[in-house]
Amino acid sequence: MAQLADVTNEFIREEIEEYIQRPDEIERIVELFARVSPKMQDIAAAIIEGEDDVADELTQQALADGVDALEIMDDGLIAGMSIVGIKFREAYIFVPEVLACARAMKAGMAYIEPILSAAGVESQGTVIMGTVKGDLHDIGKNLCIMMLRGAGFTVHDLGVDVGEDTFIDAVEEHGAPILGMSALLTTTMPNMGKTIEAFIDADLREDVKIMVGGAPVTQEFADDMGADGYGKDALSCVALAKSLMQEVKAESA
Amino acid sequence: MSTQDIAPMTSRERVLAALRREPVDRTPVCNPTSVATVELMDLVDAPFPDANRKAELMARLAATSYTELGFDTVMPVFTIIQESSALGCKIQWEKKDNWPTVRMTEPIWSEPEDIKIPADFMDHPDTRCVIDAIKILRKELGDDVAIIGKTMGPWSQGYHCFGVERFLLMSRDDPDKTKRCLDRLKDLTVAYGIAQFEAGADAVTLPDHATGDLVSGQYYDRYLLDLHTEFVERIPGPIILHICGRTVDRMDSIARTGMSAFHYDSKNGAQESMDVVKDRIALVGNINNPQTLFARGPEEVRKEVYENLDAGIHMVGPECAIPLQTSIENLKEIPLAVKDWHKQHAAKH
Repeated sequence: MAQLADVTNEFIREEIEEYIQRPDEIERIVELFARVSPKMQDIAAAIIEGEDDVADELTQQALADGVDALEIMDDGLIAGMSIVGIKFREAYIFVPEVLACARAMKAGMAYIEPILSAAGVESQGTVIMGTVKGDLHDIGKNLCIMMLRGAGFTVHDLGVDVGEDTFIDAVEEHGAPILGMSALLTTTMPNMGKTIEAFIDADLREDVKIMVGGAPVTQEFADDMGADGYGKDALSCVALAKSLMQEVKAESA
Repeated sequence: MSTQDIAPMTSRERVLAALRREPVDRTPVCNPTSVATVELMDLVDAPFPDANRKAELMARLAATSYTELGFDTVMPVFTIIQESSALGCKIQWEKKDNWPTVRMTEPIWSEPEDIKIPADFMDHPDTRCVIDAIKILRKELGDDVAIIGKTMGPWSQGYHCFGVERFLLMSRDDPDKTKRCLDRLKDLTVAYGIAQFEAGADAVTLPDHATGDLVSGQYYDRYLLDLHTEFVERIPGPIILHICGRTVDRMDSIARTGMSAFHYDSKNGAQESMDVVKDRIALVGNINNPQTLFARGPEEVRKEVYENLDAGIHMVGPECAIPLQTSIENLKEIPLAVKDWHKQHAAKH
């Protein structure tokens, strides 16, 4: 089993020591960073620090040095965001800091995405994402989309203020097995339930797994509305999407 | 809060006393944001979006909080967009069953120097109608009920005018620039608050969404503690600060501002909140909107009202503006439960 001392980047070692408490997460993160190269650790550190100019420069340099684009994404950019996600979940950092980290990740992904797209990497599954009718907030949704794409999902972003019919049309058009809805306002949260009812009315509810999230949304509310899952944050959203895809595959097997 | 040996009060007297944290005959039922619903709109023929833009309809719908629901307050400013409209933000006015909202994806400013308050800000139809609605309410309801106005804080106004993402990133990247923005916006908060008191408001709600769902408690101290203290000095009447979400980590700072009350969210326990503020500020809240008022029944509403009263919360009401499809039955349950709790409480003594 890898030890903390096996992580060569001092900043990342300190981050793990200071911000990660759960034994299973310590083990997973230490294993991850002990395995990855110092260059990838540097990229991850830039993500964690929210330094977009550094992430931009290091990603370009790594590609120029011949590092595989998938390795940069998984072991540098996403690995960095995994620590960011834990720090956010545990309230060590808040949305402004996460936005800066996401900005750094976007800087790196700008070089990686075209390469992966051209290479035709197999998708983990298709997800439709949108903020519900009457709600124009999209920060959380956008973070989820970035992380879902990083995890290999094909995501169609419907944007904000999305009505039931638009969600239904998109799910049908793309044959998406997963739909994700976001709401930031307690006044617009009921529109999640209205959308789910619309899927029932259209006789499409069995064809799609529906996940919901947003600052005021809770597991209890998700259950009340008849959703298949609730994600507290972007990391949970990815874990939930993976779990729902497994259900989809099991059901269709 | 003491309720013994107090002569019966009017709703207005009750609310004003609670805002001063003085004894009341019973805990007031207060609505610092909005209890407008589709049912109430239909009842008095004052639907959204017109009820947000025409003073007579605005006043008519606001009055239902007192006349139909039995609350001790009326609040004509259902939205948080009146000022933004007057500043030039694009507004999506929606229809009866949806809230109007600011198109924050199309921000109007990017630098502090861009901030310009139009000379006719107070005369813009969407700010003027609030002033006129307060005057109508005072004339029609007299001194029986407390009228609450609303003036947006500079942090929330920053979201609307700069875009949420850009404003939050600015607050992380450039504190000095952020402070310059807030400083240039603060006079708007003061001026609109004063205008509402002059029109007859008894208190104003000041939404300033530095919520724990978005920023840390340190951000509240860095950017807003002094500003909110300044508002108390410059706005001549009780201010109810409203911040959604988890806020216990900043309630100690909020209690130090001198604000009369803090409107708190159901993400914060009633007792833990009271323990933090220690009677330095009145607390208003915190009946859950989406799960309880919208999706459950009167029994669950009553349970949450009792939890607040047991903790000694000064004024009871929904945690925030309620979903428009909330049932009148659930809303009426709040004052009924408050009265029953006090009867039971009095019988024990």
